Amino acid sequence: MKKTLIKTKHLSKSFSTGGDLQHVLKNIDLELYQGDFTVIMGASGAGKSTLLYALSGMDTPSLGTITFGEKVISDMNQDELSVFRRSHCGFVFQQIYLIEGMSLIENVLAAGLLTGRDKMSLLAKARELFSRVDISEETQKKFPAQISGGEAQRAGIVRALINSPEILFADEPTGALNSKTGLDVLNTLTDFNEQGQSIIMVTHDMRSARRGNRILYLKDGTILGECRLGRWVHGDRERHEKLSSFLSEMGW
Amino acid sequence: MKKSLLLARSNLRKTKGQATAIAVLILLAAVMLNLWLMLSLDYKQNFDRCHSRLNAEHVTLAVDENNSDMRDFLTHTLNGDTRAADFCFTPALHMVGSFDFNNGEINSELIFLEKQAALSRSIGKVEILEESGAKSGVYMPILYKSDRIAVGKTVDISIGSNKMSYTVCGFFNSVMAGSHNCSMCALILTEDKYEELKKSGYAPNATLCSVRLNNKADSETCETWLKNTVAARYPTAHTVSNSYALVSQSRYISQMICASILNAMAFLILLIALVVMSSNIMNYIQEHMKNLGVLKAVGYTSRQLTGALILQFSGVSLLFSAAGVGLSYCLFPQLNKMMISQTGIPYQVRFLPLPCGITLLLLEIAVIFTVWLSSRRIKKVEPIVALRQGMQTHTFRRSRVPLEKTNMPFILALAVKTTLSDAKRNITICITMFIVSLIMVFSGLMIENVIADMTPFLDLIVGETADSCINVEKNIEKNFLREMQTDPRVEKLYLYSSVSLRHVDGLELTAVVCDDFSKVNNPGVVFEGRFPRYDNEMALAAKYAGEQKLKIGDEITVTANGRKSAYIISGLTQITNNLGKDCLITRAGYERLGKLPNTSYYLNLTEETDIDNFHTEVKKRFGNDINAAINVEATINGASAVYISLMMILVIAILLLSIVVITFVLFLLIRTMLNHQKQDYGIQKALGFTTGQLILQTALSFMPTVILSTLTGMAVCSLIINPLTAFFLRSIGIVKCTFTVPLGLNILGGTGLILFTFAIACLLSLKIKKIAPKELLTGE
Repeated sequence: MKKTLIKTKHLSKSFSTGGDLQHVLKNIDLELYQGDFTVIMGASGAGKSTLLYALSGMDTPSLGTITFGEKVISDMNQDELSVFRRSHCGFVFQQIYLIEGMSLIENVLAAGLLTGRDKMSLLAKARELFSRVDISEETQKKFPAQISGGEAQRAGIVRALINSPEILFADEPTGALNSKTGLDVLNTLTDFNEQGQSIIMVTHDMRSARRGNRILYLKDGTILGECRLGRWVHGDRERHEKLSSFLSEMGW
Repeated sequence: MKKSLLLARSNLRKTKGQATAIAVLILLAAVMLNLWLMLSLDYKQNFDRCHSRLNAEHVTLAVDENNSDMRDFLTHTLNGDTRAADFCFTPALHMVGSFDFNNGEINSELIFLEKQAALSRSIGKVEILEESGAKSGVYMPILYKSDRIAVGKTVDISIGSNKMSYTVCGFFNSVMAGSHNCSMCALILTEDKYEELKKSGYAPNATLCSVRLNNKADSETCETWLKNTVAARYPTAHTVSNSYALVSQSRYISQMICASILNAMAFLILLIALVVMSSNIMNYIQEHMKNLGVLKAVGYTSRQLTGALILQFSGVSLLFSAAGVGLSYCLFPQLNKMMISQTGIPYQVRFLPLPCGITLLLLEIAVIFTVWLSSRRIKKVEPIVALRQGMQTHTFRRSRVPLEKTNMPFILALAVKTTLSDAKRNITICITMFIVSLIMVFSGLMIENVIADMTPFLDLIVGETADSCINVEKNIEKNFLREMQTDPRVEKLYLYSSVSLRHVDGLELTAVVCDDFSKVNNPGVVFEGRFPRYDNEMALAAKYAGEQKLKIGDEITVTANGRKSAYIISGLTQITNNLGKDCLITRAGYERLGKLPNTSYYLNLTEETDIDNFHTEVKKRFGNDINAAINVEATINGASAVYISLMMILVIAILLLSIVVITFVLFLLIRTMLNHQKQDYGIQKALGFTTGQLILQTALSFMPTVILSTLTGMAVCSLIINPLTAFFLRSIGIVKCTFTVPLGLNILGGTGLILFTFAIACLLSLKIKKIAPKELLTGE
């Protein structure tokens, strides 16, 4: 029996646009489990990113509760959410969002030092993570504008993992990358997941979605369906067909 | 033009906050500039207008004789001089006297005129400004209108050794009636009171001779000539005189001080506004590099893009300069009220097109030039490069304060990184804090030397002060000295008499004759060289020495009492009493020209001695041989109250202004920074930084530059403030200022300034609260 990491009850989110209320998420009840590579799919405007940011405490729901372990994060104020995020979550963004004025190692340390941990142990951890994503010491000293998109996204993953988060949130992590570098990033995420890192990833890319072991399909703010896949194995046709059939059933 | 206008409007809509902050700075600069120009270009000219309206004299001479022989002599003398255009004589009563004013007293040569005689003067007309209808009493110069000297109230006037009480019937305006810094003061008595005083014999009969000149520039030389001519013919007659030059300058000392401060403030605020504007434009270009590239790609020329910026800033500047000019007219009546208490000449506030035009033009030119200079980079923006690269905000050579190596606390390290990443912002802060430091140091200087304890200010402006000044007739001098030297209440006694000399190649000088200059209370009067020791030495006013190209060691020949004598200049002095036309000489030195007609002694009394009681006792003992006994402290208090209140208001005003300036400059910088780094703040929030941490980090990022520039500014300004103050006071004869620079107050002020800046930076950074990490959300 897998341990529940995040649980939502009646999760709803509405936005006011020009006086009209737009219901982006509608009454979502969901449980996310430790060790899973959960993929949220759906068409543009289905509410994927809204769900991701609500689950991560980056945004607050309009209605309903979100529980992370024993903590009800939907009741937290902004500062409590900040502290919660730094301790429990890691983020990988589509636009990468490394801080321009900092070198890669500094970007990672900026996230790590927030938790008040010892700098030497943080540095050691950062070096280890960088080496796992194949970023050399020389590159670590470079600034975001001086490296490739793939390197930047892998550095983004290191930053997301520096505090050993219980869950990694990834919002279209390959969206801004070319095919080759996108694949590198997916391999990196898969590697970490195989070592026990829980991941929730939003994507509308079939190739990315294949890496997940649990696929949630979102449509008009509700979870339309769910597909469970086994562990990722390179070239597993059966897995690919199962996912294709699920997505076509969902109207993808 | 139309395209540029569209762009300008679009830019303005996007940067409302920044535009408002710049507008406020421009508004403040316009207020200061217009006030300064109104004071400089019109306020003093009001004296000339009033002088013409009242057909006032250029030289006033009161002679203690009133007979036909004297009048014939004066008529003959003036008729024979081509400089005199017209003249008139008015019978008067003249005596040294005093009355209470502003918690002190006014000591002056009082000229009493009969009301009808005063009103019917063809030259130097008198206008009654306020009247109660009382039939018997005194009309006072409007200059002395105060709570205690008001219509219907009683004023006690000491005339020589006697005291008279008069009901104040009203107030009058007479251009040459004197001011706080001139020794002559006219008072008008109703016919009965005039006759009463005349009969009492307290004040001798005198003739008031008023002379209008063909050229007012001759007023000083003509005054000297007339006084000497009369002295030569009537050597025993006491005379007192005023010239247009002396009165017009001395009435406007506070106007000059105020105008100097406004002038400095106007240009300092304008400088800050221009620096901020320049930094803003450079940031705009950097941030909107892509947009500018797109606009160029679709066909906009660099000239159109620059033109849009010029239109945008010059439009805002014009609008707010005009508002500033309007605001200055709201403030001017208050300033006028303060000034009138010293000038004594009523001033009607009215619209002045010239200062308004100069203010608007100057600000527009400065703004257009700054925008043009700062936006030249637009020319270099190539559409394709701009589109590809967008903005390049950092130099990537090396990381300053690398987090992996630094031992600084984390948030501080991030703040320092931000500090080091923006040179333009640092320059703006440096210039602002340096200017505000200068204002703080100046305010500290004024608080320490004028408001809290005005001794240093008095030492500079008044020169020598003591507790008491007693003028005695020659025949009792020895007896007086003997008694004073044995009186236990007298701590120090020395001769300090004022007489007139004439420099043979120049003007009349007021000479202070002292028997022993080592006894004086203010040795700082001679700031270069030394006091005269021998009978052939003289210390000369630095301002006059400069005008005459005389220096220490040179010889100066003066005349008095029909004799001529040469002296070696032993030192340079700065006393503003006669606006820099004075000299110091030993008694033996003066006796080469003749004997002193009477002598004034300065006395330092013991702490517990009541000065007024002491004077009463001395007067009782020596009777009418005491010409005057002046409570110097009270006199100074009376005359200086106007400076203290003026300085206090100015200090409060400039400190408030500094607060406004710092707030708006920081508002602009922080607003620009938040806009510029909104994404970084969002990322940091997503990573788990709390709003408090980010606010602290932002405020701290300003502090290294703020602390460094404030400390440097305070230190440098403390060193230059005395020469700078002397520069602004040069027109009243000050060459060297030796004000105490209050170290403690400056440290306190500097610390306060730094803490205030930090607090304001924190407050202004509160907007970070509104930056939400979800704004990084993409896709939907």
